[in-house]
Amino acid sequence: MKAACHRSLWIARITFLEAIRQRFFAFLFILGAALVLASGAVRVFDFGHSELKFLADFGFGGLFLFGSILGVVMTAQLFFAEIDNRTALTLLAKPLSRAEFLAGKFLGIWAVLGVFVLVLAALLAAMLGWRAAELAQLAADRRLAPPECDLAGLALYAALQWLRLGVVVAMVLAVAAAARTFLFAVVVGALAVLAGQLQWLSQELLLKPAEPGLGQAALWLLTHLLPNLQQFNLGDALVLAPHQVAAGTLPWVFLSGVAYVVAFLVLATFLFRRREI
Amino acid sequence: MTAAPAIEVRHLTKDFRVGLKGVKLRAVDDLSLSIPRGQVYGLLGPNGCGKSTTLKVVLGLVPATAGEVSILGLPSATAEARARTGFLPEAPYFHKFLSGRELVRYCAHLSGVPSDRVESAVEEAVALVDLREAAGRLVGTYSKGMLQRIGLAQAIVHDPELVILDEPTAGVDPVGAAAIGRIIEAMRARGKTVVLCSHLLGQVEQVCDRVAIMDKGRLVLEGAVEEVLERRDRHVLTVDALTPAALAAAEAALVAHGARLGAVTHPRRSLEELFRELVTGSRDA
Ligand SMILES: Nc1ncnc2c1ncn2[C@@H]1O[C@H](COP(=O)(O)OP(=O)(O)O)[C@@H](O)[C@H]1O
Ligand SMILES: [Mg+2]
Repeated sequence: MKAACHRSLWIARITFLEAIRQRFFAFLFILGAALVLASGAVRVFDFGHSELKFLADFGFGGLFLFGSILGVVMTAQLFFAEIDNRTALTLLAKPLSRAEFLAGKFLGIWAVLGVFVLVLAALLAAMLGWRAAELAQLAADRRLAPPECDLAGLALYAALQWLRLGVVVAMVLAVAAAARTFLFAVVVGALAVLAGQLQWLSQELLLKPAEPGLGQAALWLLTHLLPNLQQFNLGDALVLAPHQVAAGTLPWVFLSGVAYVVAFLVLATFLFRRREI
Repeated sequence: MTAAPAIEVRHLTKDFRVGLKGVKLRAVDDLSLSIPRGQVYGLLGPNGCGKSTTLKVVLGLVPATAGEVSILGLPSATAEARARTGFLPEAPYFHKFLSGRELVRYCAHLSGVPSDRVESAVEEAVALVDLREAAGRLVGTYSKGMLQRIGLAQAIVHDPELVILDEPTAGVDPVGAAAIGRIIEAMRARGKTVVLCSHLLGQVEQVCDRVAIMDKGRLVLEGAVEEVLERRDRHVLTVDALTPAALAAAEAALVAHGARLGAVTHPRRSLEELFRELVTGSRDA
């Protein structure tokens, strides 16, 4: 077990080094950071909540969108780089199991996304903290209540987003393990993420009375097999209205996130097990 | 009890499905081989005859359609079997952003070299393939010969009993190929089993103890190089300062004893021997 972890961590380490060298990563990283910084230039002049909400939504949106794109494309890319360049041939001829290989890929990519989330969230925290202090001063001058802004909630939000991206990476790895081409993995992976994000839609549809049929069965599969990715987006509630999150919600979201990561990695290993390298 | 052979292949068949219709392509066809330990074994055949496919099945990288394979008495495709085996793939390609030494270190960790012995194992492997000076450079800057040699280093860094080399000299100049040949001989001297596959026959003849020849996925010949190549019904005499009179006398003497002179020619050296006499080394490393 110790040896298996050691090997996985080495795969993760090299995957990390490969990922941070990619131009695609640098591009989205800079774009996301620029978006968060640019949002700081906005002034709404109502001295309170809506300006902070605008700032936060901009940051959440950038993190969500660029994180998702990075998660899908980088996972497919780093997986197929090993297969297409035949470096996997060298690695898998060693006493390295395919599960260890996939676990290493997962950890390496997830670590890169961790850096991405951390930097963007830190930038957002700086912007929010700075504006919140200014706005609180202005509000005090006018004897108004200061706007709420919880930076510890932001840290929790960042952790949740990182976990959400972990689910995305594990899901795309499972797709890539069975896919023949990079493009197929990206397209199907992106669709799966989108469907996971729109879970609440299909859940609502499922609750409506309807004829049992093929459509209904597909809907059932969709809602029960794909993770609900929307449940991680608690940004507004955590940061701007820190007392609105129900007590059991966070542990449940964390646990289900971890469970989905493990389940998709097991599925990926199963699909990858007999693949010709 | 005698030790199990290094590699045992029994009735191996491998079909690939190609194209959208999934037409079957038989890459290996009912192949049976037993590769003994402690020898250099050559797997020969034209391009596309199934050599690489056979090696990939042996290593568990590709599942067999039918048949059984074992490595050192262990079922292949187990981590234990692979821990005792080193593999250099055909036309190897490695992560370009690592230096040669980092690559070999990475492979040492994956191959189960204990952490406190990794550095010495890496230096030993790099020295064996004569890349000590170039080991600090990025793999992306290596020439083809150097890539093959760093590939060899990553295959042997964990000191495996069995080393499998797929076309180790493809694209390498004769001087580099001779260097690889010397490394293979050094491994045999250390009691390792080396299996190499190639279509460069001259090279194979020099380093291999046994050969198997494949054609269209089937085994057509197998045996010790000496036995396979020797023509026991014919003889060659090498004579210095032969005059026409001496030749006539010798022929008469041969005829008198019921023998017959087949041909009189000059011995030739191979272009490879000539090349190696004239050229001393490449600029690699
Ligand atoms: N992944 C694959 N899919 C389909 N056909 C393959 C695949 N790999 C090899 N082949 C085919 O199998 C045959 C044997 O290939 P290979 O073992 O690479 O030959 P060799 O190494 O002797 O040159 C060839 O006809 C090749 O086209
Ligand atoms: Mg080949």
